[in-house]
Amino acid sequence: MIKRRDIRWTPFLTLFQREIQRFVKVIVQTVVTPFVSSTLYLMIFGVSLGSQIVLQDGVPYLAFLIPGLVMMGCLNNAFQNSSSSIISSKFSGDLEDLKAAPFSPSQIIWSLSLAALVRGLVVGTVTFLVGQCCYYFMYGDFMSIAAPLVLFSFLVLGGLCFANLGITVAFWARTFDQMSAVSGFILMPLIYLGGVFFSVDHLPGFWRQISLFNPLLYMINGVRFGLLGKSDVDPMTALAVSLLAFLITLGLALNSLRRGSFQRW
Amino acid sequence: MSQSNTPALSIENVVKNYGPVQALQGVSFDVKKGEVFGLLGPNGAGKTSLISIIVTLEKATHGRARVFGHDVSTHPREAKLNLGWVSQEIINSGFFDVEEILKFHAGYYGVSERADRIEYILKGLSLWEHRKKKVKQLSGGMKRRLMIAKALVHEPGLLLLDEPTAGVDVELRMKLWDFVEELKGKGLSILLTTHYLEEAERLCDRVAIIHKGQIRAIGGTRMLIEEWSRKKVTLRLTEPVQSLMHPDLVKGSGQEWVFLTAMTKTLGELLQELKLNSAHLNDVKVDEGSLEDVFMRLTQEGKA
Ligand SMILES: Nc1ncnc2c1ncn2[C@@H]1O[C@H](COP(=O)(O)OP(=O)(O)OP(=O)(O)O)[C@@H](O)[C@H]1O
Ligand SMILES: [Mg+2]
Repeated sequence: MIKRRDIRWTPFLTLFQREIQRFVKVIVQTVVTPFVSSTLYLMIFGVSLGSQIVLQDGVPYLAFLIPGLVMMGCLNNAFQNSSSSIISSKFSGDLEDLKAAPFSPSQIIWSLSLAALVRGLVVGTVTFLVGQCCYYFMYGDFMSIAAPLVLFSFLVLGGLCFANLGITVAFWARTFDQMSAVSGFILMPLIYLGGVFFSVDHLPGFWRQISLFNPLLYMINGVRFGLLGKSDVDPMTALAVSLLAFLITLGLALNSLRRGSFQRW
Repeated sequence: MSQSNTPALSIENVVKNYGPVQALQGVSFDVKKGEVFGLLGPNGAGKTSLISIIVTLEKATHGRARVFGHDVSTHPREAKLNLGWVSQEIINSGFFDVEEILKFHAGYYGVSERADRIEYILKGLSLWEHRKKKVKQLSGGMKRRLMIAKALVHEPGLLLLDEPTAGVDVELRMKLWDFVEELKGKGLSILLTTHYLEEAERLCDRVAIIHKGQIRAIGGTRMLIEEWSRKKVTLRLTEPVQSLMHPDLVKGSGQEWVFLTAMTKTLGELLQELKLNSAHLNDVKVDEGSLEDVFMRLTQEGKA
């Protein structure tokens, strides 16, 4: 006979653990590949091209680039983790098990999104360490972190946003094409145009106005403020926008869970 | 939790429409505590639709389903805690081995101390030596047994088995039946759909025959057989006769005559009606009716 049953924490922790174990089992795809791509970005843009570029206030381009890449890695991987977990469960059919089990919608959302955040943070950290190596190689010293708590808060908020978006899109998607269309045509452009590689101050007036509507601009610059102590956007504004984005994506994810499909493909 | 007379499952006037398709047209029945209840019907009768409503994968268009008194649409978590479900389709989760899958599944239902239970179930389902295998390394029959294991790992009060023995070989099917009987002995209530009528006859206390979304007959397995099926009586006479007159006569000539009679009619009564006696008989062969006859009669009628 079962002595103890806890439906508040055990289901949540179990699903969280399952999600972590899943990405650890495919570590090459989930951590090594992002490691390789961020190394390439750093070598090409940061070290070789970037050595020609000097920004205002004497910040080396490499130092400008590193926070952008850290955040990009974190966001991308958080999105990938929650969405691919759900999509692969749709293929195998075990997503239906989640529906049949006594989960509350927020238990499902939080276990999936926190596990996705963990992967985002791992990739962000790996990117940061590679960045530090490049920085040391160029300037003979390591970068210091200006405001660790700010850095961490923006990584967490951004990672959770993208994890929730991954959940939303994956529940909503009815084919694999819809899934990749959203990440390729909407999210990637938003990330790239959010100021990972360049400062929006350099954009002509009209485009600058447009990019101010991109929430990614605020998240990426929040991370940049955390690392460098300065950024294109006021950090309080960035925090407000990121918090709002988090609440909206949480609502979207909860809604997708209620309305979306658990059915197998 | 619930009073002792609350049924394990109560289905009340459930209607399910998929667009214009009426999959269920007002189905009602109860599964009592500790009972094995069979839901029998041809392909497309609506069995899986009903089970999907109970596990909340689908919403009923009308009507209610309650598990130990908990309405599945208003109190889904309480209802689901008491449910174990084996889907008709095989599930192929790719990342984990059998033991890990079972641990996770128990955790989903709030159970964290589970090693003994997992061992007991895996042994009962002859999966113990495969516990370190990934799902894709299992055969079809093993996958199905894994799904049954998953459904049992959290000790549910009601088990829903949607064609549990499809693709399982004869020997293992027998073992599975023994295991189901053992579980029943421990008080588990079971709703089972199957196309093997032999399975239903062996396991089920009661059955319902469903056809085109409607229940055509419901009752004790034995009772249904007696009520709905006929026994086949073959008489071999000592002397050929020209003709015999009887409403139950199916075919025959000369010395051999075949009748399909109600299960309750005795041989003596039949002979009396034919104005024969035992002196005229060389031999008698009686084939008892089976659930298969009941099934055929009830599901063919609609087609006529
Ligand atoms: N998701 C769906 N969308 C539309 N129609 C459906 C859906 N699921 C089932 N149906 C239809 O509902 C009817 C009942 O199907 P159901 O799967 O419940 O039958 P079943 O009794 O389980 O059959 P089988 O013995 O073949 O498993 C069928 O006509 C089927 O085509
Ligand atoms: Mg079915």
